[in-house]
Amino acid sequence: MTDNKKTGRKLPYEKRKALYGYGFISLWLVGTVFFFLIPLIKSLWYSFNEVSIGTQKMVTEWVGLGKYEYVLNVDEHYTEYLKDMLVETLWKTPLVLIFSLFIAVILNQKFKGRTLARAIFFLPVIIATGPVYKIINGDMSSTGNTGAAQFSTMFSTDLVGELLQFLGIYGLSDNMSSMISTIADNIFGIVWSSGIQILIFLAALQNIPPSAKEAAQVEGATAWEYFWKITFPYVSPFILANLIFTVIDSFTSPTNTVMKRILAMKEDWKFGEASAMAWIYFLIVLGAIGLITVTVNKLIYYEVD
Amino acid sequence: MAELTDILKSDKQKLKEKKEAQKIRIKTMSSRERSYLRKKVFADKIWVFFRFVILFGLGFVILYPLIYMVSCTFRERTDMNDPTVMWIPRNYTLNILKETIVAMDFRNTLETTLVLNIGCSLVQVVSCAITGYGFARFKFKGKGILFGIVIMMILVPTQVISLPLYTQFRFFGIGNLTMNLIDTKATMYLPALTANGIRSGLMILIFRQFFKGLPKELEDAAYIDGCGPFMTFVRVMVPNAASSFLTVFLFSVVWYWNDYYVSATFFTNTKTIALMLQNLDTELKLRLFNSATVEISPREQIVWKEAGCLMSIMPILVLYTCLQKYFTEGIERSGLVA
Repeated sequence: MTDNKKTGRKLPYEKRKALYGYGFISLWLVGTVFFFLIPLIKSLWYSFNEVSIGTQKMVTEWVGLGKYEYVLNVDEHYTEYLKDMLVETLWKTPLVLIFSLFIAVILNQKFKGRTLARAIFFLPVIIATGPVYKIINGDMSSTGNTGAAQFSTMFSTDLVGELLQFLGIYGLSDNMSSMISTIADNIFGIVWSSGIQILIFLAALQNIPPSAKEAAQVEGATAWEYFWKITFPYVSPFILANLIFTVIDSFTSPTNTVMKRILAMKEDWKFGEASAMAWIYFLIVLGAIGLITVTVNKLIYYEVD
Repeated sequence: MAELTDILKSDKQKLKEKKEAQKIRIKTMSSRERSYLRKKVFADKIWVFFRFVILFGLGFVILYPLIYMVSCTFRERTDMNDPTVMWIPRNYTLNILKETIVAMDFRNTLETTLVLNIGCSLVQVVSCAITGYGFARFKFKGKGILFGIVIMMILVPTQVISLPLYTQFRFFGIGNLTMNLIDTKATMYLPALTANGIRSGLMILIFRQFFKGLPKELEDAAYIDGCGPFMTFVRVMVPNAASSFLTVFLFSVVWYWNDYYVSATFFTNTKTIALMLQNLDTELKLRLFNSATVEISPREQIVWKEAGCLMSIMPILVLYTCLQKYFTEGIERSGLVA
């Protein structure tokens, strides 16, 4: 109360500050209620209803868990796509993380042409999210183009072969090249989806204090030891961030078959089914992220500030 | 000139001296130490070679589609059937490019897209910065829950809420007072204005981290001088966050540029580059492939698609090359890492 008398204002400092806090976030709060929370709740509501478009608004009719049952038991594609997508996320995410950490470590070293190399490796950040990637990836099925298959073989399957030819190396045995091309097919996807991850890891690497590096050098640590004893602990908090980012990014990837199925449902005006599908997928992934966060958090080294 | 050569010479001499000193030092070493050093030098050299191979190979994976795009854009469609043509076209032509420009209505589309993107990004960056600052510096009830909502905004994929969002705009308003906002630019500007646009959750998070990292003394000084919180934010915090603003703004432009999902949901007649590229197939069929006299195989159609790709990434590529520094270094400074 003494504070009040001194400043001569009505509200204590703490309360005033809290009010200002609400002031700063009020714009966002209004928007979030309108453009995020209401749609989110509505979408959940739709997944329990038979939905049709009326004259003034959506008409809903409660069907309980009917839509979920339909989606999981009747729909011929959904469970299959869902399984495929989850398995793909499961093996691709660790690969993206390992790859991006590896590249970040390389790009953090000093060598000639480093700026150019960085510029090239961050290119996917600005391209890979758009429809261009869709075409690059040879995915044109949405337009029903018959050339799609041809186009995609053209592009991604024989990348290493192309590279070897480009470098003037011919005549590798078929077995070898087919094996390489399966790997290369996936390398394409991995390289193109790890732009931001490299960026974040690189930023983390640059935060390693020089003193840690010096100490390691004085002690005669090899590059291998240096990586596990110094680099890895410092970047480990960002592994979690990158993991979450990679998983979320896979939602919006144009190659995501589950999302394609959901879109197809929407185009058929089956909003209830579409919502149910989206929610099942989202909740499974969210659960997985939660589980990983809890386990990984115990293993992560946080520098005490 | 003479001075320069002198400096160079002395540099060379210094190098020589250094080498000699090294030789002397090596002589005094035991054989074990010597072999260790030799191994280290050898390993370093191998690593340099290895690194080059990796970077070159993976760089190729990234650049391959781009090189191919350029190559396709300037070749005649018959070259697609020529097995000897891989990278370098046999017959050069600018017609493909011209036809694609017409099909995409490129000038108008580019203008619409640029105005929309830059407008939305500007508004969004400002609104996200204000929100981020609110979360970074003030204590209030329910802050934890509200920030949880921000995290949810990052996690929930747009596909989950896009349909109800559509109805939200279709019947925008309260009670019976509704209007149809679909296909107006308001569907993009309104969310951006209220920090709910494309990937705004991430941006709020970035700004929050950034403002948290700035020293509190900055504001305390302003408060003591009798500056209100909002003016403090504008006068003291914003100038400090300039480079962070630029980075977030650039990323925002890129994200809006590449977005086709949200715009496809709300726009039916408004055309953006990403949407045009998405519909390029239909457009081309209408204009070029429909004629009865010419038959164009799907393989040949690739040239137009590649040209379309090239056209639509060109502006963003130019932006990237000019401001590369802010894209790549900004992330560190903008406090995503904190």
